[in-house]
Amino acid sequence: MADTGMLAMPPSLRENSRKVSIVGVGETDYAKDYAAERQRLEGWEPPTIDDLCKLAFERAVADAGIDPASIDALAMHYTFGGPDADEMARHLGISPEKAWVNGHIFAGPLPNIAGRIMAGEAKTVAMLFGIGNRSSGRQFGGNTYSSGMAGPSSYYYYHPWGWSSQAAHWAMMATRYFAKFGKREEDLGHVPMTVRNHAAMNDNAIMRTPFTIDEYMASRYIVQPLHLYDICLVNDGAVCLIVTTADRARDTAKMPVDVAGWSESYIKQDKMKVMIDQRLRPQIQQAGNEALAMAGLSLDEIGHFEGYDVASIHLVNQLEGFGFTPNGTGIDFCIDGQMTLGGRIPTNIAGGNMSANYMQGWGQVPEIVRQLRGEAGPRQIGGLNASLSAMTQTDCVHPVVYTRGE
Amino acid sequence: MAEKRPPRATGPGDETFWQGCANGELLIQKCGVCGHRPWPVVQTCEQCGSDALAFEAVSGMGKLASWCTFARPYYGELMPVPYDTIIVELDEGPWFISNPNGFANADAQLGMPVKVAFIDCEDGQGPFRLPVFEKA
Repeated sequence: MADTGMLAMPPSLRENSRKVSIVGVGETDYAKDYAAERQRLEGWEPPTIDDLCKLAFERAVADAGIDPASIDALAMHYTFGGPDADEMARHLGISPEKAWVNGHIFAGPLPNIAGRIMAGEAKTVAMLFGIGNRSSGRQFGGNTYSSGMAGPSSYYYYHPWGWSSQAAHWAMMATRYFAKFGKREEDLGHVPMTVRNHAAMNDNAIMRTPFTIDEYMASRYIVQPLHLYDICLVNDGAVCLIVTTADRARDTAKMPVDVAGWSESYIKQDKMKVMIDQRLRPQIQQAGNEALAMAGLSLDEIGHFEGYDVASIHLVNQLEGFGFTPNGTGIDFCIDGQMTLGGRIPTNIAGGNMSANYMQGWGQVPEIVRQLRGEAGPRQIGGLNASLSAMTQTDCVHPVVYTRGE
Repeated sequence: MAEKRPPRATGPGDETFWQGCANGELLIQKCGVCGHRPWPVVQTCEQCGSDALAFEAVSGMGKLASWCTFARPYYGELMPVPYDTIIVELDEGPWFISNPNGFANADAQLGMPVKVAFIDCEDGQGPFRLPVFEKA
């Protein structure tokens, strides 16, 4: 019954817009689990992926207010492995007709599942992502991390020069950005500082203590010019999304959030040059325009952005690439208060990957659902109708547009 | 005395590249169909898909395109921190990750002219010469 085939992304067509809705979201206790892992009191054991997924699932089902027996498909997503989908279904106490392993990092999996629902393969799908990379001591660089992901353009190629980490990609971008646009480390520091201030408004954010630019400058480097605060967290957790047809979604307890648009774009050649010089601008522009056209919206109508802040400079790349601010002005845009509440585009408003949690893009969705429903409490964006998420890696971008399903 | 370094890539085509370094030449592939010069080594041209790729020596001249300094010891004692890495835009087009030789990132300027040099290194497979860049 388990199916490991991952479908190609359905085309970014108007007729595919708002056919599928998110009706429930669940997350694990990122902050509590992170603190316990750091303390490692006697008897502490790392949470298993099974149990993290079960908690996120139960919370998503409760949030949706649905009978779990109505879930007819389970889609599992792991970056570094986990139980097969049938085994997980048993652990969750459900017997769905279909059980799939459907890729890993966000955002590709959501359009894929929307495609399956539109094709009539399932009515209501529980999409689960689980990861235990902190407890397992994974680090994103050096000789210890060489999986089947290694290819000719990956950083493993550059071992003899010692150039091997995710952070080094962003560091190379930042150096060139500073030189081209006349910016300094203490300017860039406003980006993680703003995201940290957002996390202070989120009880489940891992890092909630605000910092000053002086404290930022005094913090250690990971890869110079990037400091500790510029780089995302590594933590354990799970995210569950309950997704169903837009018609069925209208009968659930809360206002549904419609999946209105999506796209994807990849760097096809000269990866280093496109990544470090152009900062994926052509890819972000193309995919962003396609996702907005599919949703029938203009950028002006997007009132909230959850970008992939795996590093501070990459959030700047996305704010500029999607067109919220012109090329080379993203840091000034942040300093001017334009990416926080009351500004042009509140961005990573729950604390993002740098301060709230690192769920490889999945953490963006629960916040978007809360914001569009009006459930975000002290960090609620007023009058919000449409949000944009973007999973933006070193060589590709996957934007998704979401709207209130009224 | 050869510097100990983390391991070289050893896929198809890499041997030709490292043999070039041993001879004091920076060999980069060139597509016989579209003329594209991919780096790192590929099996088919990333621009046109052809497999008509041949290694050709490039001038070794380029301009500094960016740089960063590792502060976290990803390689333990093999690469003691801090150490500098750079990326060079070769005159022939490709962007090449390397290390500075005879200068530090603190002196780096965007667009600074650089030229290749080869230093004696050693990894688990034995001695090899590593292409690095110095001020031109």
